[in-house]
Amino acid sequence: MHSPMEQFEIKRWFDLHLGGLDVSFTNSATWMIIAVILATAIFVVGMRQRALVPGKLQSVAEISYEFIANMVRDNVGDAGKKYFPFILTLFIFILFCNTLGLVPYSFTPTSHIIVTFAMALFVMVGVTVIGFARHGLHFFSFFVPKGVPWVLLLLLVPIEIISYLIRPFSLSIRLFANMLAGHTMLKVFGGFVVMMGLLGGWAPLAFIVVLTGLELLIAFLQAYVFAILTCLYLNDAIHLSH
Amino acid sequence: MRRALLLVASFGALGVHHALAAEGGGMPQLNVHDYTPQLAWLAIAFLALYLVMSQIAVPAVSETLARRQAKIQGDLDAAEQANRQTNELIATYEKRLADAREAARGLLREQGEADSAAAAARFQELHDRLAKQIEDAEKRIAAQRDDVMAGLAGMSEDIGRDVYARLIGEAPDQAALSGKVASAAAQGAGGHR
Repeated sequence: MHSPMEQFEIKRWFDLHLGGLDVSFTNSATWMIIAVILATAIFVVGMRQRALVPGKLQSVAEISYEFIANMVRDNVGDAGKKYFPFILTLFIFILFCNTLGLVPYSFTPTSHIIVTFAMALFVMVGVTVIGFARHGLHFFSFFVPKGVPWVLLLLLVPIEIISYLIRPFSLSIRLFANMLAGHTMLKVFGGFVVMMGLLGGWAPLAFIVVLTGLELLIAFLQAYVFAILTCLYLNDAIHLSH
Repeated sequence: MRRALLLVASFGALGVHHALAAEGGGMPQLNVHDYTPQLAWLAIAFLALYLVMSQIAVPAVSETLARRQAKIQGDLDAAEQANRQTNELIATYEKRLADAREAARGLLREQGEADSAAAAARFQELHDRLAKQIEDAEKRIAAQRDDVMAGLAGMSEDIGRDVYARLIGEAPDQAALSGKVASAAAQGAGGHR
């Protein structure tokens, strides 16, 4: 029997090296590109007519747009408008990577910590740069809670700084761990189906059906959580709110 | 708290699998050699999608939404405008109706006054004509009576003469007879009236 971890293995379709760096085209890259092409198709083909009364595909594009637009407006305010395309891209990319990962024999790029960590680190570095650009050194006041005796500040400020630095880790591990756990579970129960055969395999098979529904929900939920946390972090940097 | 637990658990899982990976097999996620290809293609894919979103998708959707909003607003404004015009029309119509009713009432009153004046004039005319006819008739009656009275005097004289001639056997004195008849007539007339 195969290991449930085998599904996460990176396979190089063809080797590619650029200036000493290994940039081979892998199964992960394949599904990232498929996700991008599908998302592009929905938005470009769906919005081709720009109809006043939208069709099915246009509705999908518009609902996605308004979902994230409302999220940015509610959590960041008007100052977040500039970053809306980025957060929309983030949400759509993660959503498509997560969801396409549920297709049998596909690969889930977001089940790799390096991918989610790169995105989370990019968000946190970006948010910090935005914070410093908007507030200068005043940005450090973000780590100092208001109305707290200075003795407590000695304790609280380091905690605040640590919690800020931990954000990229929590953000990336939340997504990665959810994908990893879900796919591993599916694989493990898939193994049970084979193991228990025609007689007893129906029970784990039924469980897989239910689990697949749950995983579909989680695929959406984790994309949503990643996007909304990015919004909240962005809001912190822009408004220095606590 | 939950987040911290999740963190600890995840790090723990990573650690366990790292140990497993060292033994062979293990977690493909921890294979450092696979990092650069993933990062490179993540950057390419993400940048491509970002360009599509920011350059094509977002402008297209926002333009469509704005156009739809403008269309809805325009329709609402047009409906409101039409409603206002209808109300104005109704007000004008009602005002005209009231004016017309008032004018009709005035006309009726005038007509009634004119009618009653004409009737009064006709009545007066009739009255005058009848009065004249009555007067004429009275004159005619008076004339006829005078004639009759005059004839009566002549007849009385004839009768007197005949009676006188039969009684006395000779013709009476004409002058004396006329005087007697006249005085008797005057006396009779006075007595009868």
